[in-house]
Order: sequence, then C-alpha cells, then structure tokens
Amino acid sequence: MGGGEKPVGAAMNPWGIFSTTVAWFILLFLMLPSFVVVPMSFGGKFEMMFPPTTFDTILYERFFSTGNWIATTITSFKVAIGATVLALLLGVPAAYGIVRGTYPGKKIVALFLLSPILVPVIVLALGMYLYLASFKATGTDFGLIIAHGVLTTPFVIVTCMAGLRHIDPNLETAATIMGASVMQTFFKVTLPLLKSAMFAGGLFAFLMSFDEVVVAFFITEASTMTLPVKMYSSIKWEISPILAAISSLLTFLSLVVCLIGAAAQKKS
Amino acid sequence: MAMVGLQRAGKRYGDVVALHEVDLSVEEGEFVTLLGPSGSGKTTMLNLIAGMIAPTTGQIFIAGKDATNTPPNKRGLGMVFQNYALMPHMTIFENVAFPLRVRKTPEEEIKKKVAHVLNLVHLPQVANRKPRELSGGQQQRVALARCIVYNPTIILMDEPLGALDKKLREQMQLELKRIHTELKITMLYVTHDQEEALTMSDRIVLLNDGRIEQMGPPEEMYFKPRSVFAADFLGSSNIWDATIESDGGATIKSGDKVKIKSEAFAKPGAKAKIMVRPENINVIRQGDDESRFENRVSGKAIDTLILGGVIKHYVQLANDTVIISQELTRSGRRSLTPGQDVRLAWRPDDTLPLPATGKMEG
Repeated sequence: MGGGEKPVGAAMNPWGIFSTTVAWFILLFLMLPSFVVVPMSFGGKFEMMFPPTTFDTILYERFFSTGNWIATTITSFKVAIGATVLALLLGVPAAYGIVRGTYPGKKIVALFLLSPILVPVIVLALGMYLYLASFKATGTDFGLIIAHGVLTTPFVIVTCMAGLRHIDPNLETAATIMGASVMQTFFKVTLPLLKSAMFAGGLFAFLMSFDEVVVAFFITEASTMTLPVKMYSSIKWEISPILAAISSLLTFLSLVVCLIGAAAQKKS
Repeated sequence: MAMVGLQRAGKRYGDVVALHEVDLSVEEGEFVTLLGPSGSGKTTMLNLIAGMIAPTTGQIFIAGKDATNTPPNKRGLGMVFQNYALMPHMTIFENVAFPLRVRKTPEEEIKKKVAHVLNLVHLPQVANRKPRELSGGQQQRVALARCIVYNPTIILMDEPLGALDKKLREQMQLELKRIHTELKITMLYVTHDQEEALTMSDRIVLLNDGRIEQMGPPEEMYFKPRSVFAADFLGSSNIWDATIESDGGATIKSGDKVKIKSEAFAKPGAKAKIMVRPENINVIRQGDDESRFENRVSGKAIDTLILGGVIKHYVQLANDTVIISQELTRSGRRSLTPGQDVRLAWRPDDTLPLPATGKMEG
C-alpha cells in the first residue's frame, strides 16, 4: 500500500486512537529526563534546578572556555573516530566472509566475531585492561581505540551482513564473468552497494564509542580521559551544573548524527 | 572451430548426480539452446562452462583450449541473467563500460564502443540513466549490450526472457535472433520454454534428469523425437500405448488399427507408444474426402476449446483413449457438440512409433 494511504475506517477505530495515545505517553515518559536537562542547562551558574529561574548561557561558555573539558572532548572525538575506522576496517571484510564465504565452520567464526556483544561489558573491560596493561598500552588513546574497536566491530558486522544479504550475488557473478578479479569485484561492485550499510554501522560505532563509560573508565588515566569518564568523575566530586550543558550537547550530537544517518538512508 | 566443448563433463554433489557425463560442442556462430524441465541439469551445464562450479569428471574446452581449471574471470565469456544483474549504482553507460574498464581499454575507445552497442540494441538515449529507470525489456537489452561490447567467445544466457511478459518476450526473441544473425555471435541459451527453443535455436539440446535426451535442429527435434519424453516435451502430442502388428501397422489402446512410419525397433509383437501431433489429426466434416488419410477412427466429442488462432477438439475413443485434434480457427468452422459422433483421420507418415521406455538409438 504505497503513498501513505490508510485502510478504510482506520482513522475512526477507537482502539487505534487509544493505543496511539498510550504509545506517545510511554515515549514521553522515556524521553522526558533527557529533555529536562536542556532547560536546566540554560539556568544560572550555581543551580541545577527545574524549571530554571533564570535564562543564561554561562554554563556553555564555561564548558567551551575550560581547557580541561575541551581536551577531554577532543580525546573523545579522536578515540571515537579511531574506533569507527578500526571497526569498519575489520567489520566489513568480516561480514563479507560470513555472508559470501562457503567454508566449514562458518557459523562458529560468525559467533566468535560477534561474541563481544554477548560478553558483559564489565568482563570485557577487565580483560582489556589486563591485556593492554601487558603491552603498557593502558592510559593511551591507542589502547582505548583498540578496546572500543573490539566493542563496536560486532555492530558494524551485523549491519554490513544485513546490507550484503540485500545485494544480489548475481551482480558479483556478472562482474566476475565479465573479467573482474576478486578485488575489482569487491571494490567496484560490492563496496559501493554496501555504502549505506557501512555508513549506518559507522555512525553507530562512533556514537557507541563516544559515550562509552565502563571500558573507558578502566583504561584511561587522568590525562587521557574521555568526556563521559570525566563527567562521571566530576559528578563524584562536585555536582557541577556544567554537566547539564554537556549533557545537552551530547544529546544534540546524537540527534544530529541520527538525522544524518536517516537522511543518508533516504538518499540511497 | 568449437567455441565451447564439454568432454565427458559431469557434476555430482555427494550422492546426487546433477549432470551425468555429457559431451557437447558449440560451433562458432551457432545458437544452441539447452532445453529441459527444472532439475534436468541445464543450469549446472551453464555454470560448468562459466566456471562458477568445477566439474567432478571430464574437461571443458573454450576456444579450443582446455579451460577446466581456468577461473571464471579469465574465460572470456559473456553472461546474461534472468534478473538482468545490471549494477544499480552505475549509469547505463558505466554498466556497459564496466567490462572494458576491467580490461583497461582507453577512454576514447570505451566511448566509441559503448555508443555503438547501445545503438545496436536500439537504446542510444538511455546512457545517462540508472538501470531502475528502465523497463525489464530495456534492462535486458542493456545486459546484452554489456556482453557484446567486449566480444566474448560465447554469450551464455540463463533464461533471459523468463521475467518478461508474453508479448515482450516474443519481441525480444526476434530481437535476440536479429542480433545473433547480424553479429554472428556464438550463443548458448538456457530455457525451459519449448516454444522459445523452437523459435530461436540452430540446435536444441534436450536434457532430462542430468542426461542429454536428444539433440538436433528444431525441425528434427519436433518431427523426429526419439523418445516419449522428447515427443511430450516439445510441442503437444497424442501418445498412446500400442502393439506392433505383423503387417507393420499397430493396434492402439482404443482397439483401432493404424498404419505407422516404419522404424527399425518396431518389430511385430513389440509393445510401443504411438505419437501423432494434434495438428496432423483432421476432423472429417460433411463433404470432406477422407480417403487421402489412411488412418481413420470414430469417436464421441468431449469438448472444443478455442485458443485464439487455433482450436482444439477433444474426442473420446473406445477404452478411455482420448485424442486431441488441433485446427486453425476459421470463422464458420463450428465447434463440436459434446457427445456428437466424430470422424478423425491422419496420415501414416505422421504416425510415429516410439519405444515404450528409453529412447531409440541412432
């Protein structure tokens, strides 16, 4: 049924109205805490109150003028971008091998590659800490990129597997018969068709890494803290109202990233 | 020279035999059709030639050289798929240019060649469009152009017209035939549609259960089937159980005695099948002279079906034997009333004896 047509009587159905209303209330209930932060972030210097009594952008100014906060933000971006690139480099070929490959034990390989999703994050964090410590890589951006890469790769694999299943294998067969090598077929046929799946997986990996706390808390040090870790530690020592501003900015970032993702999906 | 040859090539998957050892050779410029029901091994044969699967036994030759172990991208073949398999992210120009780019053809030559083949398939105006903006028939013509452009040894076609509607399919059959004649391309065509095979082929290879049942030019396949399977698969036919008589005639299931074409295997007393094409069986109407047909039977009409250009009569003979007669539709030619007495007649030359099981040798 294209063109957004409604079946006859759908608008009048009282159950339809009821369930739609309930759904909206549940959504509101779940979303409200996030939105409460936004007006709070425009409150004054010393208060974290809802509703705010004054309107002020001082908290944002504070955030952008505090070198400490900016440095952690940059670290977060660096780590998230690094982890995304790593996840794509590992995840895309892995997904290809799982979907297109024909070798014994394929299911076991798939399960192994997706296992970071199944292992509790805290276990993964501890394991990563001990492992990276043996290389003296704890407390470095590089170490955290590796750890976040492990964490996010399965998600890239899953989205790319779904994307690959939508690509007609005959296209690859056709390219091969026309004379293209395996590499040419992969880069000129498969990869361009996988673009939107890769983009979605990449965005997901970026967001996951950017607001990941547990693993980052284990691996980072004071000098290499990411934004969420710094927020967590600052809430322990002092409940700074600046957190409301940062939270709002993070919400805004997620929203923008999701919108970009949706727009890209629509375009392809 | 044989462009493609199979020598005792067979394929099995564990205990399942997809293709028994077969021999086949396709000559330069020939249009050969692999015809058969699904599961008869025609796609297996095509994939063996394309190199998508490796034979369990035997060898594959392409342009005279042993290509059994050559990877598919080095075989220099072309292939047209049922679902077109055009690259959705490329324009029509880029799609057709793809095999040339892979071959590192200079840009100037690519432009010239692509324009030339798009003209050849009557689609010069679509170069900048994407495949999804084209109709099914147009997409398939582009797919063909994409093969022609790099001049492959042979073009393999896997039920290329299967996804098109009847009218378009007939139009495309003529188009394919025209391009084949014009360019003298060697083509190997896979279909399960016997009409398509009869219309287009220089030679038909009929497959049954992983074996070659019979091969030959369409006329021979149609008029001289060597087995009940071949007679039944190509065209429609009346096939009856029969016993060969001492005078060289035969008694069919209904008890009627008919004269038949003589065949070596049909010895007196032998059980056989008798085949007559429905279009060779004439309904004798008042005033018709039936003496020129030596085989005559009487029965009761069951039904008449008008199928556009042709009209089919179903007539009941004794012993639950049904006989189908097919005539051209003419205005004034009356349908038979169910239950009415009917005389049918045909010539002994059109009465083919076939072995009850298996096929005739030779």
